[in-house]
Amino acid sequence: MNISKIIPDDPRLTAYALGELDAAEQVAIEAAIKDDPAAQTAVAQIRALSGDLSAALAKEPLPFVVPPKIEAAPPAREPYQPRKFIRFPFYLIGGLAAACVVAMFVVQKQEVTRRDIKLAEAKTEALYQKELAKLEEKSRSLIEIELKKEGEGVVHLPTTKPESEPVAQPSAPAQPRQNLPVLVADVTTGTPPMSNEVITMAPFSVEARHEMSFKVTQTLAGTRLPAGIAGVGGSAGAASPQAWATAAYGRHDFNTETYDRQVDNDYLDAIGNPLSTFSIDVDTASYANARRFLNLGQRPPQDSVRIEEFVNYFPYHYAAPKDATPFSASMEVASAPWNPEHRLVRIGLKGREIPEAERPALNLVFLLDVSGSMNEPKKLPLVKESMRVLVEKLKPTDRVAIVVYAGDSGLALPSTPISQKQEVLGAIEELSAGGSTNGAMGIQLAYDIAKANFIKDGANRVVLCTDGDFNIGVTNQGDLTRLIEEKAKSGVFLTVLGFGMSNYKDSTLEKLADKGNGNYGYVDNFAEAKKLLADQLSGTLVTIAKDVKIQVEFNPAKVKSYRLIGYENRMLKKEDFNNDKIDAGEIGAGHTVTALYEVVPVDVDSPADIPSVDPLKYQAKGSTKSKLAKAADVSPELLTVKIRYKAPEDVLSKKLEFPLVDSGAKFANASQDFKFAAAVAGFGMMLRESTHKGTTTFDSVLGWAEDGLGEDAGGYRHEFMDLVKKARGISG
Amino acid sequence: MNREIPHENAENFVQTAVAEYQSPLLRYATRLIGDPDRAQDVVQDTFVKLMAQPPAVVDGHVAEWLFTVCRHRALDILRKEGRMKRFEEGEMERVSAEEPQPTRSLEAEETHDALLRMIDRLPPNQQEVLRLKFQSGFSYKEISRITAHSVSHVGVLIHHAVTRLRAEYAAQRS
Repeated sequence: MNISKIIPDDPRLTAYALGELDAAEQVAIEAAIKDDPAAQTAVAQIRALSGDLSAALAKEPLPFVVPPKIEAAPPAREPYQPRKFIRFPFYLIGGLAAACVVAMFVVQKQEVTRRDIKLAEAKTEALYQKELAKLEEKSRSLIEIELKKEGEGVVHLPTTKPESEPVAQPSAPAQPRQNLPVLVADVTTGTPPMSNEVITMAPFSVEARHEMSFKVTQTLAGTRLPAGIAGVGGSAGAASPQAWATAAYGRHDFNTETYDRQVDNDYLDAIGNPLSTFSIDVDTASYANARRFLNLGQRPPQDSVRIEEFVNYFPYHYAAPKDATPFSASMEVASAPWNPEHRLVRIGLKGREIPEAERPALNLVFLLDVSGSMNEPKKLPLVKESMRVLVEKLKPTDRVAIVVYAGDSGLALPSTPISQKQEVLGAIEELSAGGSTNGAMGIQLAYDIAKANFIKDGANRVVLCTDGDFNIGVTNQGDLTRLIEEKAKSGVFLTVLGFGMSNYKDSTLEKLADKGNGNYGYVDNFAEAKKLLADQLSGTLVTIAKDVKIQVEFNPAKVKSYRLIGYENRMLKKEDFNNDKIDAGEIGAGHTVTALYEVVPVDVDSPADIPSVDPLKYQAKGSTKSKLAKAADVSPELLTVKIRYKAPEDVLSKKLEFPLVDSGAKFANASQDFKFAAAVAGFGMMLRESTHKGTTTFDSVLGWAEDGLGEDAGGYRHEFMDLVKKARGISG
Repeated sequence: MNREIPHENAENFVQTAVAEYQSPLLRYATRLIGDPDRAQDVVQDTFVKLMAQPPAVVDGHVAEWLFTVCRHRALDILRKEGRMKRFEEGEMERVSAEEPQPTRSLEAEETHDALLRMIDRLPPNQQEVLRLKFQSGFSYKEISRITAHSVSHVGVLIHHAVTRLRAEYAAQRS
């Protein structure tokens, strides 16, 4: 596409401003408006308007609906037919049926022919309200009616069993009319012929209807629902009635923290799998989260321990890049302390340091979860404290906006330069928790604000602070990650900060950060907030390279087999390395990223050897061997590390290559950073009860860490040793 | 990162969808039909249809699927009632300007309300795509699949809406 000039009335200009064009078109428009101030103004205005539109439209009320209750079903006598099986939450069969019965009672009692109020027509609302109003007169003590504004009729009926039985709350005036006959039939067939006493005495009729609807619900829950679930979901008998019942009453106390299952990377043989490819990971959340458990005197769940996040929690003293490349690689190899016959290879990347004065301007949009679940000392109050720390570190030209989300999303602070610090601090002060969580709407709004205030050549970032408990709106992980992925294309990066305990959704948050070109930290205390947001502000918030992938080629003449320690959920296919469409991790200014390989040299007989595979039938025999002999002659190298990365705004990657020769160093002679990283990996293996831990014990971890302590700026390494001791105490 | 996202448990699938989308769909359907009662029916039909779907079919684009089916149902009803013209072309330039234009400059908290009033004066088809974009967060492509407009037509509709809002907005603020 070649556009020399674009007129302001071109729809593509709007599409461009909203980030809806594909890469090629985007480049073309960018070129066309480069020297066109009018078009640029238009784009800026459209983006600003877009933020306002989202904010304004977010204020439009969502219709009130009751939480889903799984109750309805066709009469039990009908043969089961999955497709006709109506199991719709807001049918609220019990309540509806009861209301109808009550209505019928009154109708009969007054001997008024109400047949002209056709039940089959959509006049049920009028009927409800009229009849219930009459009932109210007769039995005020039993029934209270709360009519909200038009279209939101909510009827509260008191119940004798509030815990065991949902109270009917018609979610909206119109009930599904086609179901009425069914429902009435259900209730009437389920009860003995009604006596006149029941009919004439309103208070009892109310009680009676409760029992009836309760019975119906019970029967349905016990018998029909699992079948219905099987019909819908295709997994027969997977859900018990109790499970459904729990789900119907909301999310209380039954779902706690979630971690994805992680299986250690295993040994791979260097002939069959000479390439090992993975994405870097600068997240540190797993370590901070484990610290929280250990400080509570608990062992962290195995699956919550991601060794690479443990190792990467600590800064290491790798040499910074000398030239313009965004990072340098420093590699080291020595014997593995937990198995001296094995070699331990460290690949260390160090992102270019950006002095505070040269840091690009920040356009930050805080997206804060202010839902009820955040109302704990370690959550929202800690968020607010973290933000104050950050604000103190920002420059007057940096901008901060605050979007809050709970039941509805809203803009708590429009994008404001730090030169108006008091305003920012005031907005932080006013934040308070309450409501349920609609994360998706908030994410949408936050990205729109970020885009509307986009700083070219600056660091544009949404900072999500949450316990990850998205309970309304888009909570489906697939949809949520898709939303984030789409937003990530706009050039706005994402930082996810996890807060709090219990209900903590580690897996959701890590994925969000991952998909959103972002990083993920866990804030368990004020010191951690300070580390992430003040001491390592640039590392956390300024990305210097994105989609950083590492591919290691092992020399089979030297290496029998190898395993990557950690990075289990960051593994890539070897083809992905050169595929720029495949997303990978980001590295921040001054960040260090460390990867460790445990390598079994060719001349070592190790129990860690992988089970052999049958020789290949169709490959020429010995061909690999003869090739190997040649390669070994040519190269003394143990392995070569290839790194691909993109500059933050680029779509094409660049490649760096670093070979490594093993000098045969012993662990005792290794650098302090090497020893400390090995200690951290060993600790991770202990907590994961890894089969690869060799001779590692908590005591040996302490020994290696002690040797690798160094000067320990920030005291992180000393804290590590305290944690190891705590873990030892718990295990002992 | 292209990592596998674990599939939602099949039995939770419809339930989750209802919990997530019931309100937004109802709001959308009410806008289309203009009658909350019928909108409720439409949303209900939409979820009943969802129950008949194997989760794998809609996995990853549940929102889009629901909005598409919901819109389809809503238009069926409008068509039956002969109210279809609401959403057809030709009405695009029809502008109702019953409300007086406020002339004084707006306070910050009034801005959004004013914007909402301006949106309400847009032609219905522009309002629809505008809300799908800025309220529900769908992309042009997703909106195109939901509304069966071409992507470029979605672009034109949003462009017209945004251009007009921009002009009115500027006029009000000055």
